[in-house]
Amino acid sequence: MPLTVADRARRIANFRYIEVRLMEIAAGWTPTTPEMEVKVMFGRHIWDLAQHADWLGKRTFELRQGEHYTLPPSEGYVELLNDVAALRPTAGRLRALYDVVLAGLDQWYAAYMVQTDGLLDEPSVVISERIRGDIARMRRDADGVRGSLQMAAADLGDLPRRHERVSQLIEAR
Amino acid sequence: MEEIGYFDYNGVRFRSEPARDDCFTVVRRDLDLHEYDAASDIGKRESVHRHMSNEITSLDIAADCLADFPDTPWELRLELARQCWDESRHVAALNRRLQQMGGRKGEFPISTFEWSVTCAIDNLAGRLASQNRTFEAGAMDVVGDHIRQWREYGDNETADVLEAILADEIQHVRFANRWIKRLAAEDRRVLLRIVAAVSYLSSANQALAPTAEERNAVGVPLDGFASRVPAVNIHDRQLAEFSDEEIHEILKQAGFRTLVSDTAAEQQPR
Repeated sequence: MPLTVADRARRIANFRYIEVRLMEIAAGWTPTTPEMEVKVMFGRHIWDLAQHADWLGKRTFELRQGEHYTLPPSEGYVELLNDVAALRPTAGRLRALYDVVLAGLDQWYAAYMVQTDGLLDEPSVVISERIRGDIARMRRDADGVRGSLQMAAADLGDLPRRHERVSQLIEAR
Repeated sequence: MEEIGYFDYNGVRFRSEPARDDCFTVVRRDLDLHEYDAASDIGKRESVHRHMSNEITSLDIAADCLADFPDTPWELRLELARQCWDESRHVAALNRRLQQMGGRKGEFPISTFEWSVTCAIDNLAGRLASQNRTFEAGAMDVVGDHIRQWREYGDNETADVLEAILADEIQHVRFANRWIKRLAAEDRRVLLRIVAAVSYLSSANQALAPTAEERNAVGVPLDGFASRVPAVNIHDRQLAEFSDEEIHEILKQAGFRTLVSDTAAEQQPR
């Protein structure tokens, strides 16, 4: 079933919610993260995430919604992001943001590009492509910082599995 | 989200320090900082190290403003997000320069005074008035002085880094000036918050200011703030959209009363 204009607006608004929330999470972590190199990386990525939210917010207006129309994808996903925001050790923060949430978000953008009409919704596709390129760079940055600081892998408990379950529920809608 | 608390000093409430690497020694008073003859190698490294530390603090402050005030207009949040990136590049550039000079992060004690003051303020207009319009605008004056000084020392590499940083800082001050005016035009109560923030800033400065007799941790006399006021960077303050009246007032506060009076006297009708 092809996506309608209203479907596209909702999906873009979901993406925008996530990008804004991730910007806020990285910003909230910056003063409470001791490592200077990680702060510097967050500073760059806060701007990346803000730009993504801005592009998506302008696109919702083109899809017959208000500018910067924003919708949470699901209650479960909102709770999961709140739990991510509450993480404390730096290694756990980096793993949750870059290996779990951003990795999953990249997959959602990829799925959206397949589901939507690549010609009629090309502006959304172009935005998604740009964001996916940024996410790949952001994840490489995180790997580089972890390598240079010789940061040990963090145990996130059941968070990755919860992320998978919540993601499957959203994809099945 | 992890909370950062508060502490009291000389009857003034400050925000507790943001997180720093273990290699840094964080102090609360200028008295406990190391400050050397500016022309010596160690003095030059300390100057770059101190500037780098201040940029880390500016990043912490801009990020905290983004996180603490989610209902802020999106265009202002975008400015703060961009400021986070700018400050993070400044940290990286100064760290690179510090290493080229043979220094390292944590080599000298640091202070996070600007954070402790600005992030104790509970509204964004007040924080912009404190951090962007006061501390960063003041930094424009200081950096303008330092660029000239580094070139006199023959260190054009450091001067070039500071030139690039100064250009970014002008925009940080300018967007704060624009948004404060806009927010105040929409809600006159914003002006009261700004007056309260500036008054708090003055109390905070007095609470931590060194006295005329005190010396810093390496024995250099701290003869009060008056002798440390830099030349006012009028051109960049104009670019940052301070009005002529505001610049006139800053010149007076900077101790240029005679200069201002002379100029004013010349403009009197004869």
